[in-house]
Amino acid sequence: MNKSILSILGRDRPGIVASVSRVLFEQNCNIENVSQTMLQTEFAGIFIVSMPDGMTSDALHHELDSRLTPLGLTVLTKPCDHGEDSCPAAECEPFVITTRGPDRKGLVAHISGVIARHGVNITNLQAMFKGGDEPGDNIMIYEVDVPKAVDLQALAADLRDRACELQLDISIQHRHIFEVLHRI
Amino acid sequence: MLTQREIISTLEMLRNENLDVRTVTLGMNLLDCGGSDLSHVRRRIAERIMRLAGQLVPVCDRVGQKYGIPVVNKRIAVSPIAAVGAALSPAELVELARTLDAAAREVNVDFIGGFSALVEKGMARGDRSLIAAIPEALSATERVCASVNVASTRAGINMDAVILMGATIQRAAELSADRDGAACTKLCVFANIPEDIPFMAGAYLGIGEADAVINVGVSGPGVVKKAIDRALASQPDLDLGGLSELIKKTAYKVTRVGELIGREVAEHLGIPFGVVDLSLAPTPHVGDSVGEIFQSLGLLAIGVPGTTAALALLNDAVKKGGAFASSRVGGLSGAFIPVSEDLNISEAARQGHLCLEKLEAITSVCSVGLDMVAIPGDTSTDTLSAIIADEMAIGVINCKTTATRLIPVPGKKAGDHAFFGGLMGESVILPVNNARGSNPFIRRGGLIPAPIHSLKN
Repeated sequence: MNKSILSILGRDRPGIVASVSRVLFEQNCNIENVSQTMLQTEFAGIFIVSMPDGMTSDALHHELDSRLTPLGLTVLTKPCDHGEDSCPAAECEPFVITTRGPDRKGLVAHISGVIARHGVNITNLQAMFKGGDEPGDNIMIYEVDVPKAVDLQALAADLRDRACELQLDISIQHRHIFEVLHRI
Repeated sequence: MLTQREIISTLEMLRNENLDVRTVTLGMNLLDCGGSDLSHVRRRIAERIMRLAGQLVPVCDRVGQKYGIPVVNKRIAVSPIAAVGAALSPAELVELARTLDAAAREVNVDFIGGFSALVEKGMARGDRSLIAAIPEALSATERVCASVNVASTRAGINMDAVILMGATIQRAAELSADRDGAACTKLCVFANIPEDIPFMAGAYLGIGEADAVINVGVSGPGVVKKAIDRALASQPDLDLGGLSELIKKTAYKVTRVGELIGREVAEHLGIPFGVVDLSLAPTPHVGDSVGEIFQSLGLLAIGVPGTTAALALLNDAVKKGGAFASSRVGGLSGAFIPVSEDLNISEAARQGHLCLEKLEAITSVCSVGLDMVAIPGDTSTDTLSAIIADEMAIGVINCKTTATRLIPVPGKKAGDHAFFGGLMGESVILPVNNARGSNPFIRRGGLIPAPIHSLKN
């Protein structure tokens, strides 16, 4: 399958997704997955598209760049050459790690470093730093997949130690508790 | 993907609103451990408890840690000991209570319930022996809890048992006089006792239950109070229908947590899951009080006029939310009003807002009854029995569970302070009408017949 992954960045405003998808449609590309988010005023979108036979990622990039750069958007394109099933995932349990505490540089680096050292994958990260010492103003929420082979107690202990050094209040909970509490 | 709001509101409930699983209670059948040889009975019971409950506490702690939800208490409920030890004498039953206490300590559970008898229609030999053993059994042990069901809607009220329980409570208080009669904090007298209560002191494993079962008691008065406070802050003119809806949704969440934890503990232990008992059960901590909910709803204090209506609304909303959240709701399921265990309720009693008669009135709409009520030590056994009889009548006629957990505090009078410690809390001693008097009506004994089930007025 001839696929490409695109990342589109730029100041948010109405019409960005429409502009990108118009180019893709005209190039006879099919959107397989798309995810977009906004951080403060900035738009970021990721598209995985299948391209018609003979088209290359470079050619698609050229087309997108020429149409979207004038709109103030930055385009990154790369071939997506791994099949969906080419990397078998280890059996995992989903956990949520939440921290609250005073803002300082390096919080994400420190906490994600501990998570990485234990071989745990972050599947979603939301962080909001308004600055200052008010704990509720500075929150990190990591959704992670913990492989069953990972020692959860050791991961939790390491995270707590690091959080303590950073004066962060940390909790590590199985994702199921949030779904059970809030969803029918 | 979870939303930030879902995650943060969950953390708020856990950290600032005392959301927890109040108890995971392992029910175990001991009926096949009975016999007339005390040493054999003791050995078999100790072995059964060690085998089934040995992993209860570590599993609860592990599951609690996984979800970030503390399982505050781990407990055991056994088959009624009056049936298990039917062939034993009262003195032997006291020894059996010591065995239960030692086994509970060994597996690190804080209470073991089931030193119980079911005598609503009549008393068998084992029942009489057990009731005779209760005062010493509760005074000599730390963790054993007792309950006696003296009435039911189908059988009526066994007034001979009611008379006996008045004297039993008085004797238990005397034997624990150095601790303000604390033995009585582990003794409940019931009408319509459910077979699957996870909460103490009334927990036992019903005759109709399986070999073993995991029942869960969830709580969460702090969560309900904070939800009400938040709603009224953003919508000050919210009416009672809106508040009921809010409490219902909150009870739903609390129940879901209990069922999740209970099912997982049951699965790890290889024991069937039983029920979630969704009761608003307070502890003597600020922010974990049922009494504070009444103030959030707009009452000066629990006990003032309007209390019964507020409790009816609260109880009904809790049940509706819980019933939607789980198809395995059981036990008592409602709001507890344990006077000494709730700082706010205890303070309302001290200030005179809450009296024994008002407590009795609200038991017509709450889940239990006269719970953890300290009364003068010189209250006569006739009057103790009469208070029990009144409470039983409310349960029997209204087809609901009611109970008493009365503590006649030795050497103390109305207005004095009783201190039981720990979860049992402390309380002012409430005055009792005709405290020291006799009561020829009660002394007549016999059976108050089961009520008619039509002509409901």
